[in-house]
Amino acid sequence: MAASLRHSTLFTTVCRQLNSTLWLNVGGRSIHSSAVCCKNRAARIRVGKGDRPVTYEQALHPHQIAHRKGWLSQHTSNLQGEDGAADRTVEDLFIRRLIYGTFHGCLADELVIKRRGNLLVICALMLQKLPPHKYYFLVGYTEELLSHFYKCPVKMEIQMLEEKSVYKYL
Amino acid sequence: MTASMRIASVRLLSKTRHYFSSEVAVQPGARTVHHQPASTRFVFTSVRCNVCLIPVAFLHKGRAYGTQSSSVTVTEEPDLLFQKLSVLVKSHDKAVLDSYEFFATLAAKELGLTLAKVFEPPKNIERLTLLKSVHIFKKHRVQYEMRTHYRCIEISRITGSTSRVYLEYIQRNLPEGVAMEVTKTAIEKVPDHIQMPLWSVQSQEKQGSQ
Repeated sequence: MAASLRHSTLFTTVCRQLNSTLWLNVGGRSIHSSAVCCKNRAARIRVGKGDRPVTYEQALHPHQIAHRKGWLSQHTSNLQGEDGAADRTVEDLFIRRLIYGTFHGCLADELVIKRRGNLLVICALMLQKLPPHKYYFLVGYTEELLSHFYKCPVKMEIQMLEEKSVYKYL
Repeated sequence: MTASMRIASVRLLSKTRHYFSSEVAVQPGARTVHHQPASTRFVFTSVRCNVCLIPVAFLHKGRAYGTQSSSVTVTEEPDLLFQKLSVLVKSHDKAVLDSYEFFATLAAKELGLTLAKVFEPPKNIERLTLLKSVHIFKKHRVQYEMRTHYRCIEISRITGSTSRVYLEYIQRNLPEGVAMEVTKTAIEKVPDHIQMPLWSVQSQEKQGSQ
């Protein structure tokens, strides 16, 4: 990235010199080059060949949150006058990794984590990869483990899907 | 309505409404009923102060399931009277606040409370500008913002027991990602020692001595 930046700055300096000599030329065109760093890459899947299936959550970019997208983690600590945002974020990350590992390959989409008072609700969409009694066991296991870890009641609400719901192909 | 009557749960609004319309009297010194839900712990104790501000985000609620049947006790101490009960809810999502406002106003109407004002204070946007890259590239930044929408429901002329019931119902059904701040303005009886102004008492004493 640094090498491309050097090339682009060289190019722009050359163009500026050319422009300064041709200032008499009205309507002179100049080249606009952007460093690769200018583009936003957070939580975005770039458009490709058209063979990659992508869910609604993945297809919409983060600037669409509160417009076409909802929130994956719902708590009050990011509101004006409330605190504890860092703690909630760390808890969310831990929960997402734990459940991604516990239900490996079975998650259809991102988790939705809700906090109502003391209660922690984890909503997940699962694929039908394992027999049901295994799902029941894993749900009970994660609920028990997380409630002992975070000292609050934890509930998991899962919904089964046959396959991942595809929104578009990128 | 005897003292030994039991109310099964707070959500039986019709029973609660009938109960409160017959029992609660406005004059101090009347018998009041304290509705004590056994399972939850609340910060709203009977505080004799003018304004209490208790954000619900810091409230520790008990378990959401497994509520026991609550008992009703009758005491001789007078009920608190509130001139104004102000409920301010805040959230990132305006649609959630719209639906919650509909729910809270409906509950207030069902309980027969007077809604003084239901309005929307202006939203607050907190913006951050951070460096986009981990190392160097000072010219390239990224901006984030956090929007907080507000909704305020003001109820006037409410008693302590009614406010307790209403607030408990409202707060049990608070959606996730919504915070609440409650402000109560209490009315107190003027203390006896300042009922009469000092200068009039002194002038009476002088007249009496003369």
